[in-house]
Amino acid sequence: MDRTGIVLVGAGFIADAHCGAIDADPRAELVGIVDADPGRAAAFARKQGGIRYETDLDTALAWPGADAVILCTPNDTHAPIGLRVAAAGKHLLVEKPLATTLTDARALAEAFEATGRVLVAAHTHRFYDYGRAVKQTIDSGAIGRPQLVRLAILGGWIWPDWSAWVGDPVRSGGHALHNGVHLLDLATWWLGGEPTAIFARGRKQTAAELRIYDYLEMVVTYADGATAVCEMSRAHRPGSLAQRELLVAGTAGIVEQGWDGESALVFGEAGTATLPAAGGNGFAAQLGAWLDAIGGAPPAMPVADAVRAVALGVAVEESIATGRPVAVTA
Amino acid sequence: MTRVALVGNGGIGTQDHQTAMYEPAFRRHPAFEIVDNPDDAEVWSIAAPLAERGKTIAEAIRSGRHVLADKPLAATVAEAQEIERLAAEHGVVVVPAHHQRLGGALRSAIAAVRGGRVGLPWNVQCDFLVAGGDPAPGGELVNFGLYPVDVLHALLGLEVRRVHATGSPALVTLLLDHDHGVTSTVVCGRLPVLRDVPPGGPAVHRYRISGSHGVLAVDATKPALSVRGTSFTGPVWTGPGTVDALLDVLAAGIATGRAAVGPSDAVRAQRVIEAAQRSMETGQPVETGE
Ligand SMILES: NC(=O)c1ccc[n+]([C@@H]2O[C@H](COP(=O)([O-])OP(=O)(O)OC[C@H]3O[C@@H](n4cnc5c(N)ncnc54)[C@H](O)[C@@H]3O)[C@@H](O)[C@H]2O)c1
Repeated sequence: MDRTGIVLVGAGFIADAHCGAIDADPRAELVGIVDADPGRAAAFARKQGGIRYETDLDTALAWPGADAVILCTPNDTHAPIGLRVAAAGKHLLVEKPLATTLTDARALAEAFEATGRVLVAAHTHRFYDYGRAVKQTIDSGAIGRPQLVRLAILGGWIWPDWSAWVGDPVRSGGHALHNGVHLLDLATWWLGGEPTAIFARGRKQTAAELRIYDYLEMVVTYADGATAVCEMSRAHRPGSLAQRELLVAGTAGIVEQGWDGESALVFGEAGTATLPAAGGNGFAAQLGAWLDAIGGAPPAMPVADAVRAVALGVAVEESIATGRPVAVTA
Repeated sequence: MTRVALVGNGGIGTQDHQTAMYEPAFRRHPAFEIVDNPDDAEVWSIAAPLAERGKTIAEAIRSGRHVLADKPLAATVAEAQEIERLAAEHGVVVVPAHHQRLGGALRSAIAAVRGGRVGLPWNVQCDFLVAGGDPAPGGELVNFGLYPVDVLHALLGLEVRRVHATGSPALVTLLLDHDHGVTSTVVCGRLPVLRDVPPGGPAVHRYRISGSHGVLAVDATKPALSVRGTSFTGPVWTGPGTVDALLDVLAAGIATGRAAVGPSDAVRAQRVIEAAQRSMETGQPVETGE
């Protein structure tokens, strides 16, 4: 079988999840790693059994057998690096958000449209077991036409210190673009509707000096009158008790998963924590869908949806800044 | 025993809470007895159609009677304020049926939050979703939006300064801004008929209170047993009923001259509901003017 050769760019936190997915898929092969930091690139390459490593992207794009790129660098680098990947004629799986501005997101979409290569943004929650199960339940007609989504992903502080790029609104795009897009995309995918307006509120709970909102509440209104209430938090205490809750109400029923719907509960001397059930590998499913699309199948995460997620994230930040609802045009 | 007359069998749309809720609760309450002639009663249990409710309540107050009133207490903020003023003037107790906050889980939650158990609260999320039953003609916002709004005030002790509403009158989302940057969100409305939920019964009724030092997650459909059988699967409520607890409030109010639930609660809730209606019309957040 002809394997798709993949270059990973960005040897940070999330790169391991992508590596694991590549290892698990016989259709894919990890060709090498690129990181701006030579030490990180070398260490990652060594850990992967001595694959190639580089600090220069263009050199790596010319490696023999390099067909595609998985991009795991900070959010503000997605557009400039992605455009170079397009210019080199490679396929791209880019970490979310597709870009930090709508202009950049559209530029990426157009560049890949022009090359005919497959661009997919890693909205991984579409590939998690719960995300797919909710979508299938809605599509089966079991709850009628969905009218309301409530989705909360709550956890405590996970980021490093003040120097972390995620805390820098210019580098990350702000929390709405950094993590908010997961929920905005998922709720919109579940509902299958056209977002028309966003009203959002943000809070700097962990520290008044934060430059991003560690708690976000994002309310999307859709053309058919449906509503999605999405909460994304890194502000909840105690941080050990991560919670994900969802409720979808339709014209003929509801589907719910409470915080204990997937997790067991550990209460011990060290405190209380949720213990998520083992399950499918969302990153492997995501990679598989991208490889399918490279093979000609319709994409499970269309580019237009990734652009729309950026538009929604931008609208969230604008709504928080103005205190007003913002009309959405994707 | 305090003598109670049942006055009116209407409400919004087809509602008859008098027969369904108040009459049986008065019959089983040790402090009250039901009499047929309103002239012989010290208390009127008023469930007149909403359009006539304010007038009937005013009549009761002017004749020196205490009142238990179906919710909403009045059709407008102005009408509720007039009832508040009259009740004070005549020294009678008027208890609007804001009984949801009296459920066992919520009473404990209110005490815990007000006692600092989660630190300083900064956000509350609430769902108040009923399944089946007759839809309220004007929408569910007017029908039972006041319940969660009332609970929020009991939990936080903070006024609502600004309201943004979206959705439909049958299933509405309210985004409320309180003092000190505290926010809350209420999803409120009527779902389709769901198996094993009695018509008009609560399908989802819960609150998540996030604070500086912890989170309190309250399922207000509890305390309950979970029963599973061949013909029924569902919860069986175990605590005292919320309407029974409301009559306790009424009885204590009559005894002391001051009830824990009163017209000011109705004025406050109605102000939020009216702001939500304006927000639905304009698509913009609305200041409550409070
Ligand atoms: N899908 C998910 O669930 C998920 C989860 C976490 C992170 N992410 C996304 O993954 C991406 C990476 O996040 P992370 O947490 O792994 O970050 P990280 O900071 O841990 O790693 C980023 C890596 O990129 C390298 N880098 C920075 N700029 C570069 C450049 N111009 N060229 C090459 N390398 C560069 C850094 O040296 C670092 O090794 C982000 O876009 C983030 O939003 C997605």
